[in-house]
Amino acid sequence: MYEKMKARVNWPVTILLFIGLLTVAFPLYMTIVIAFKQPTEMTNSISGILSLPANWSLGNFAQAMELTDFWRSLGNSLLVTISTVVLCILLHALMGYAVGRNKAHSRFYNLVYLFIVSGMFVPFAILMMPLAKQTAEMHLDNWAGVIILYVVFYMPMNLLLYTGYLVNIPIALEEAARVDGASTWRTFWKIIFPIMKPMHATVAVITALAVWNDVMTPLIIMSGKGSNTLPLAQLTFQTQFGTNYNLAFASYLLALIPIIIFYVICQKHIINGVVNGAVK
Amino acid sequence: MKRKKAVSAVLAASMLAAVILPGCGSDEHEGKTEIEILQYKPEAAAYFDQVEEEFNATHDDIHLTISSPNDASTIMRTRFIREDYPDIIGIGGDINYSYYVDADILADVSDYPGLADVKESYIDILEALEITPKDGTYGVPYVANAAGILYNRDMFEEHGWEIPETWDELISLCEEIKAEGILPFYFGFRDTWTCLAPWNSLAVDLAPADTCQQVNAGTTTFSEEYVEVAEKCKELVSYGPEDPFAYGYNDACTAFARGEAAMYPIGSYAVPQILQVNPEMNIDSFVTPGNDDASKNTLNSGVDLMFAVTAACENKEAAYEVLDFLMDDENIQKYIDDQNAVPCKDGEFDLAPMLDGMLPYIESGNMTDYQDHYYPSEMAADALIQTYLINGDVGEFLSDFDSRWQRYNRDIIRAVQEYNEEHGIDE
Amino acid sequence: MKKVNDSKRTYMLITIPILALFVCFNTVPLIRGVIYSFTNFKGFGTYDFVGFRNYLDLFTDPRIGGSYMFTIKLAIVATILTNVISLILALGLNSKIKGKTFLRAAYFVPNVLGALVVGYIFQYFFTYILPGLGDALGINALSSSMLSNSKTAWIAIVIVCAWQSIAMNTIIYISGLQTVPEDVYEAGDLDGATGWKKFRYLTFPLIIPFFTINMVLCVKNFLMVFDQIMAMTKGGPEQSTESISYLIYNNGLSGGSFGYQSANAVVFFIVIVAISVAQMTISSKKEAQL
Repeated sequence: MYEKMKARVNWPVTILLFIGLLTVAFPLYMTIVIAFKQPTEMTNSISGILSLPANWSLGNFAQAMELTDFWRSLGNSLLVTISTVVLCILLHALMGYAVGRNKAHSRFYNLVYLFIVSGMFVPFAILMMPLAKQTAEMHLDNWAGVIILYVVFYMPMNLLLYTGYLVNIPIALEEAARVDGASTWRTFWKIIFPIMKPMHATVAVITALAVWNDVMTPLIIMSGKGSNTLPLAQLTFQTQFGTNYNLAFASYLLALIPIIIFYVICQKHIINGVVNGAVK
Repeated sequence: MKRKKAVSAVLAASMLAAVILPGCGSDEHEGKTEIEILQYKPEAAAYFDQVEEEFNATHDDIHLTISSPNDASTIMRTRFIREDYPDIIGIGGDINYSYYVDADILADVSDYPGLADVKESYIDILEALEITPKDGTYGVPYVANAAGILYNRDMFEEHGWEIPETWDELISLCEEIKAEGILPFYFGFRDTWTCLAPWNSLAVDLAPADTCQQVNAGTTTFSEEYVEVAEKCKELVSYGPEDPFAYGYNDACTAFARGEAAMYPIGSYAVPQILQVNPEMNIDSFVTPGNDDASKNTLNSGVDLMFAVTAACENKEAAYEVLDFLMDDENIQKYIDDQNAVPCKDGEFDLAPMLDGMLPYIESGNMTDYQDHYYPSEMAADALIQTYLINGDVGEFLSDFDSRWQRYNRDIIRAVQEYNEEHGIDE
Repeated sequence: MKKVNDSKRTYMLITIPILALFVCFNTVPLIRGVIYSFTNFKGFGTYDFVGFRNYLDLFTDPRIGGSYMFTIKLAIVATILTNVISLILALGLNSKIKGKTFLRAAYFVPNVLGALVVGYIFQYFFTYILPGLGDALGINALSSSMLSNSKTAWIAIVIVCAWQSIAMNTIIYISGLQTVPEDVYEAGDLDGATGWKKFRYLTFPLIIPFFTINMVLCVKNFLMVFDQIMAMTKGGPEQSTESISYLIYNNGLSGGSFGYQSANAVVFFIVIVAISVAQMTISSKKEAQL
């Protein structure tokens, strides 16, 4: 049955999707072309911007890597992103479970839910200065502080996602486990956590992306001490009165690769989730 | 159960990583006096790295650290709120300096001997920036920048155009250029801040240097002082591209570099961006001639970088030693070669060729600070100017300017007027 | 009875520490921020309490009113645009197509490109390419830059916002579509439900929780729009694209009106919470009905 359905490719949709891809391909083409060009090749004409670079040298990429101390910054970015994503998945899934399973019948949990979700709407600008002060007082003006803050910042959105997902997971699954004598804690890790896999993948992608591109939090918390993440290092290409777009674009293209790979890995799990889980 | 263990292992590992990561500082400079400079020009980071290295190699008792981070202004703010002050900060002479002086963040450096070598006009500029007059000097001006009109020297020579010295000459030059089918000016007003470049260089010619202080004291209004500035600014823009608000700063730099316009009213700071596109370009500049009487014109120049010792600095002697090193002629020359800057120190320096046209003004000290150094950034004077240049209504523009000034400067105005009353300054 | 207590205790043991963490790093700094909103704090140095002055000022400041108008207009249009497109895209990417992995990765790219790149490319697009296209096709409306006209600049911002956010919304819709069991479709196929009907009566009701999430996230992201403004217009032309976050950030943190903009942020926070709570209550009622 499944085999048969998979075999039938929906060509009209495929073709439409490839046509729609132009909206992505065109900006990406510009980015790539600019990343390979020299500043002297930059013009203000349409033909100029669309033309291919005079030569496809990797010089811009090499220079961009040197200026951003690429491997080190990449390492920092990876470490911060991975730690945050792991912590977010574990803590937010737990929280989503505890709140999601209770908010319908408990005032307290419903309040907690609304309280945390509304935290999403606090303008970051109002938190910046107080947080800069508070993290310093708590000796958290370091990577640990940055990671903790990320876990807090993305909690509202992830809680929203996890509780939303939980609605579609039949409560009967847990009840069956409980009848077998499993504790709630155990039921969560044994039954619910694995079933949430597609949502873990979604949360991982969204959180990773937000952390990967974030400049403000490390800038404010670390205040220039310690080494850079990639986006912090990339600020180097922009000064008040000048920007080297060619180097910057090369650097942004490099920073794009890890997160795309991560997404491709995760998106497989977004797909193969609940249906399989429920069937097993 | 297995899963739970795996989960806690990952949790522990990531926590551990988070804790270990920052723990790699070192204390190899024990016994030395630590001096830290935080300066706001990341584009000069290479120069300051070199200064740091040379200073530490030649000094046994002091260890100097200079950081030139990206987005230094945010970093300064967050460090100030933590009361974690660097010993010396490198900042520009604008309203932030006024705020810092007013907030007692900076120390009086009038006992620093090196100040004697700094051109009087730049010390006066800093003095004027103080919200209410305060005894002492709170910064050591290092370098200045200058704004006027950049021009394509080769193009001018080719067509035999002369550098204008009065407003009429400038307008007839524009007509002449236009007649030859060349665009006189390029503008990049989509980047709102660039509207301030022609504005400032006209304002120094046409409005009193202390306009803002006078408004704060309540003796005049912008509606009275800025009419001519606004009208002439509008006239300049009419010699630019058809829709100057479509283009950004970078577009304008590229267009000027590609010879699409003969002149570009902007500061000397734009030169590196222009040369990036056309490294061979022969650029020079001249002072914007706002007046019909050439002798009334003045160069638009302000303190681009100064060093201010913070009040929290524990060892002023050591800080002065660092300042001495920075103020060394050789180092200043290196800086101005690197950044096309104008030195604030008296003495013989070689200036970049694009400043040739401004040299007489620089040498004679005929210069006036940017008016926008007194504008609080939150009033968005640049956006007001952009709005005016689009809709062209002088009256509305200046009354908006006045009312917004009153709104955003309320505390400053009150402080100024209280000060004036206390000190019996009758205006 | 023991079971119930066990699970209650477990839920509490999970909730309390995480809630405490949240309060410590979100609520406490927020309260400090609210306190600043009653002062004339510049972001450094000393300050005085000024009572409700900042709040009263908000209502007489034409810029604040303008920024609310712009931000809300942008949020509504961009939310609708983003949700419609990303739902269609999610359905397409979830159907049986060739090159699925490639297509999904490719449509994800806009979300990852940094603001500097997006800003440059779209500025170029609106300044040179679109007017060029307008000239070539003889469409007068397109022949001048959208970014230099205060009537059209906001549309350009909407386009950039939607272009960037569609990727994330699509992911959320795709993950929502995974919760729709195959047998629903099979049942639908037997009933002869096709196309729009199948979507309207079978798929959509099942992904309403994800629709809610996307609406809330969109409204939040677009009401707090900042990066795109910085990258594209910096508030211009004629201050027509100053968003609320732009004012809070630029005037409060880069400028010296920290106290005043804190008050703006507090009011803004209350406004968004009110909008979102209303939104969620309405949707959860809808969910309950189904």
